[in-house]
Amino acid sequence: MRYRIATLAIIAVAAWLLPYGLDSYAIHVVNVILIFAILAVGLGLCMGVGGQVNLAQVAFFGVGAYATAILTTRAGWGFWVSALLAIAATMAIGLLVGTPALRVQSHYLGIVTLGLALAFTNWVTNAQIAGGAEGISAIPVPTLPGVDLSSEYLYYYLELIVFALVLAFGLFIVRTALGRRMRAMRDDALAAGALGAEVPVLRMTAFLLASVYGGVAGVLYAGLIRYVAPESFSIANMFLLLAMVIIGGRQSLIGCVVGAVGLYLVREWLVDHPTVAQLAYGTVVVLVVVFAPTGLAGLPKRLRAALGRGRAGSAARLQPFRPYETRAEPAGQGAPILEADRISMHFRGLKALDEVSLSVTAGEIRGIVGPNGSGKTTLFNVISGLYRPTRGRVRFRGRDATGLAPYRLARAGMSRTFQNLRLFGDLTVEENVLVALDRSATWHSWHYLLRPVHVLRRDRDLHRRARESLDRYGLTEFAALPPKSLPYGIQRRVEIARAMAAGPALLLLDEPAAGLNGEEVRQLSEIVRSIRDSGVTVIVIEHNMGLVMSLCERITVLAGGRVIAEGEPAEVATTPAVIEAYLGDSMEVTG
Amino acid sequence: MQVFFQTIIGGISLGAVYALVALGFSLVYRTMGLVNFAHGNVVTVGAYLASTFYLTTKLPFALAMLVAIAVTAAIGLVIERVLRPLENRDFDLMLIGTIGFGIVLDALVIMIWGATGRAVPSPVPAAPIELFGLRIRTYDLVVLAIAAVATVLLVLFLSRTKRGAAMQAVAMDHEAATAVGIHVGRSNAIAFMIGAGLAALAGGLVGPLLYVNPALGGALGIKGFAAAILGGFGSIPGAIVGGLAIGVLDSFAAGHFQGYSELVTFLVFTVIIMIRPTGVFGERTVNRA
Repeated sequence: MRYRIATLAIIAVAAWLLPYGLDSYAIHVVNVILIFAILAVGLGLCMGVGGQVNLAQVAFFGVGAYATAILTTRAGWGFWVSALLAIAATMAIGLLVGTPALRVQSHYLGIVTLGLALAFTNWVTNAQIAGGAEGISAIPVPTLPGVDLSSEYLYYYLELIVFALVLAFGLFIVRTALGRRMRAMRDDALAAGALGAEVPVLRMTAFLLASVYGGVAGVLYAGLIRYVAPESFSIANMFLLLAMVIIGGRQSLIGCVVGAVGLYLVREWLVDHPTVAQLAYGTVVVLVVVFAPTGLAGLPKRLRAALGRGRAGSAARLQPFRPYETRAEPAGQGAPILEADRISMHFRGLKALDEVSLSVTAGEIRGIVGPNGSGKTTLFNVISGLYRPTRGRVRFRGRDATGLAPYRLARAGMSRTFQNLRLFGDLTVEENVLVALDRSATWHSWHYLLRPVHVLRRDRDLHRRARESLDRYGLTEFAALPPKSLPYGIQRRVEIARAMAAGPALLLLDEPAAGLNGEEVRQLSEIVRSIRDSGVTVIVIEHNMGLVMSLCERITVLAGGRVIAEGEPAEVATTPAVIEAYLGDSMEVTG
Repeated sequence: MQVFFQTIIGGISLGAVYALVALGFSLVYRTMGLVNFAHGNVVTVGAYLASTFYLTTKLPFALAMLVAIAVTAAIGLVIERVLRPLENRDFDLMLIGTIGFGIVLDALVIMIWGATGRAVPSPVPAAPIELFGLRIRTYDLVVLAIAAVATVLLVLFLSRTKRGAAMQAVAMDHEAATAVGIHVGRSNAIAFMIGAGLAALAGGLVGPLLYVNPALGGALGIKGFAAAILGGFGSIPGAIVGGLAIGVLDSFAAGHFQGYSELVTFLVFTVIIMIRPTGVFGERTVNRA
């Protein structure tokens, strides 16, 4: 910690003294670099942290610069008023450009944002108000009492302060609840949604952040160059910006800054050979993508991993599970918590579910069994909102829940695990649990701007609860490890701990015993019983018959998308239809 | 009415070129789920190669085109080979990788041929045909015919040959394809190669229609992509219909919105993607938990 503060102090002093050693051209270059660094941080937040491909960052930059130019020269308003309005305008455009992200992702999103960026350059080149191809010149110098900002040396300090603030703000987001949620969404949007992260709001937030950074950079650019023209916001510059972020390391904001500084310096060095520079950075982008996807920022970690390979594996050990306190009288005992009413789910010709009805009482452990392909997981996906059923209704806690978004159901008290484990691979075990624990609404993110202390305090509280939860599941020693590095059985337990951290009333477990050994299965049944005793209703899909028979109070048997039997374990096991579904009809075997 | 039909005819030959670009996008996408962002740049390279061989070495137009196709096909192979480690692992990174290749190709084009453009004379200098009072350029007919032949050949390759069938299998399920012994990497490589070849064909054909310059491919690439989306990404008939539709739309937009035609095209395109991401001929896919 002390070491960090010292480094920070040295960097701050060096940045403060930097202009003393530079001539007037060099300080101009530094000023432009700082603007690109702000843009890169914005792009890193949107694309690296939020996973939203955004090729319109340069258009956000342009909107900020052009809005400032138009408001100061055409409307004659003061620089700072114009600047605020310009940032607001950029945010509006950011939300607009982000809307396609609600429907499409990845490649489609890339091409749509690229198209919108082209639309922007097309507009400014043609519009009278934007000055056409000549652009707008004679933007007034921003005024600041006692400081002459027409001097690039003094402008540097303005930029430096803004840069330090926005970088600190970005880091603050990445390291607290909002950033964690965005990273979770980037890793696995489906699982993040099932844990209550409002994926649509988060995607818009990512674009909003990118646009704020773009707007700030645009305002600074207008104040620095005092001239705007379409070619400054061309696609070539977008790709340069993208190269900065990729080469520096998109998932690390510091990496983005390093990339911006480094690449711009190289470009400046090759200023007489722009095509050579372009060839070089294009090649480096390809190499980075293939050989070092985490960019420069990821190199130290890779080096450490390469050097430390010889050391023995982690000594972390799984501790026993500490049962929950038993609730004497679970709330709403006896009333149905979940009712499925004649659900059908068709995938084109295939009827995965055919009029399935199910009623689960609060406080029970319900088993759902059936041969492979009988529709068990499809039923879970319909219940938890991943699929909207073709027909039928789902009621959860007395309210209609058909086709509600997964995150809404999660927030209403439904939590689930997945058949093939969907842990967030780029987050640590503790962060996985933290994402689930965090029940705050994402649109409360304005707290970051106006109530940062409150955010920090809440985050500290979340960490405390995450430690408690990990301790209960005996996972404390794994807290800082990436989940994919853990043995399979432990990953399964982490997923249950994560699902329970969301504080559900109903827990859906999809084949929790798959891949577990005998001892782990015994521990699992102990955990599930304790979860139920704490007042949570559990529905479990399982192939391990021994576990189902001993654990569940009632069992529902599915075959071919229909319910063929339901009842207590003993009576279900002797139902002829069930035996037939599992072992086949003896007539068919001989015939 | 006369003007209306003339506008349609004006759009159709460019539409055929868009369709070829869209076919290249779609072929790569259906095989490996990747949108090749360098596709437009390959079109530029193809246009320059074809025009260079045609103008400076005085090769016949058809032969110049074949040479251009062969060279770009090789470029396609290189792109696929370099990005192969990322296949079926990280699509966002692959996308950025193809953007990287696009940047490189763009720089190479400027290095080799300079930043200024060139005009290519039409290889069929016959006078336009007059039909019911409409003027049809003979070269437009040549473009349409070549595009049609290329499409038919592609469909025949995909449906009638063993290699083509293997590619269809990879498109449907790459894991299952591996399981029955299909070399997925090779399939992807062929898709990339044919895709790049189609790009060169489009670039070569468009040379006499437009001005060949370094920005040519960027514009064609994005129009071709819009065409592929409109028709349903990955669908062959969709690419054709989408290409012709965008060509005609473009021709009308240029008439009505002049300088803003690009803006209008992209806004319409964004709205279409939002309403129906799978396009007209596309199939809805389900994401599995």
